[in-house]
Amino acid sequence: MDITGKKILVCDDSVLARKQLMDAVKEIATGATFIEGKNGAEAVELYKNDKPDLVFMDIVMPEKDGTTALSEIRDYDDNATIIIVSSVGTQDLLKKAIQLGAKDFIQKPFEKNQIKEIIELRLGGK
Amino acid sequence: MYTQFLGNYLLQKGLVSQEQLFNAMSRLSQTHIKLGTIAIHEGLMTAREVDECLYVQTREDKRFGEIAINRGYLTDEQVNELLSKQTPDYILLGQNLVEDGVFSYEQLERILFDYKNDTEIYDLSLDVENQDTINAIISKFFQLAEMPVDEINVMYLELMFNSLIRFVGEDFSPLTPMVLEEYPVTFGVSQCISSEKEYITHIDCDRETAIAFASRYAKEDFLEFDEYVMAALEDFLNLHNGLFIVNVSNTYSKNISLAPPEIKMDGVIYGENKCVDFPVAYPFGTIHLIICY
Repeated sequence: MDITGKKILVCDDSVLARKQLMDAVKEIATGATFIEGKNGAEAVELYKNDKPDLVFMDIVMPEKDGTTALSEIRDYDDNATIIIVSSVGTQDLLKKAIQLGAKDFIQKPFEKNQIKEIIELRLGGK
Repeated sequence: MYTQFLGNYLLQKGLVSQEQLFNAMSRLSQTHIKLGTIAIHEGLMTAREVDECLYVQTREDKRFGEIAINRGYLTDEQVNELLSKQTPDYILLGQNLVEDGVFSYEQLERILFDYKNDTEIYDLSLDVENQDTINAIISKFFQLAEMPVDEINVMYLELMFNSLIRFVGEDFSPLTPMVLEEYPVTFGVSQCISSEKEYITHIDCDRETAIAFASRYAKEDFLEFDEYVMAALEDFLNLHNGLFIVNVSNTYSKNISLAPPEIKMDGVIYGENKCVDFPVAYPFGTIHLIICY
């Protein structure tokens, strides 16, 4: 899928999860710019610096967890498109993430097709 | 999960070696159930009658079902019914062990009879695994581990076995749990679960086993012990514990939280009370699931 000019930020503290998510988005979204972060603090900083069009972010992360980062990013940019990718999916946590403005939730371990559908839907590439 | 429990039973009773068990387990997905095996399982033929038909089959060019009908052991209808039955994997495991010459059909018949009695599996159809039976078998692990047999503990271990089946592979056998004061770390990942009490969960193994475990979990071929291998073990434990706290908070509305997983390369782990090691043997090595509380 060609989405030249778009930017995607992937943020996860697990080096393996980050690699697998990056491998998946790079394979699906050609022409895009990819940025990666390894905790919530980096997610906020990278968002402010690079203004990505789409963010995939874990919830349980050190230094600043996903929900705090989500809230800070949404405070900075109301239109931020943030997708939570997490293995922890308690109803409370999901409700909180949606209330804070997350656009979608993907349960780990993810299927490549789920990532593809999100990119198609959110970045409009076909 | 009956297959893994049968493996545990066979090892415990000294009826198979680990090598024989893993050989038979590794072929489960490619094995088809034979009419004779399922006829014994359903109580329609004895092992002796099956052996007799198999012997005749080596001398006459006929199907097993045809021979069993000719000899009056089965009717046409029974053959058709048996052919359409779904058989649980643990019966396949038994069949593979017979084919490998580890024991005869007659011995298998006796072993399965004893296994069902021991584990109180009364439902002979067994197309669907019975939750009460699974709970009862898992409760025995906790009795051996001298841990309280409560619903949440049982849920944790059942979920662990399911996570292993789902994310690593079904070809494992749980071994007998061990109670320890503390556990010396080889290599592993720890994660603390907190509710009213604190539990330290830990998975531990040697490096070669970690590489094989990580390769299966991440569906990648890792060749050396590196950061990805370590991260795969962290991710597995985090995922499993994450599923657990979701289940607990959804089922019991309990406040329960998870600390980030931590890699441990040496030292010992211990809890306020004691540590229990639930070892799980895979063909590539043994994984130790440790719970300290």
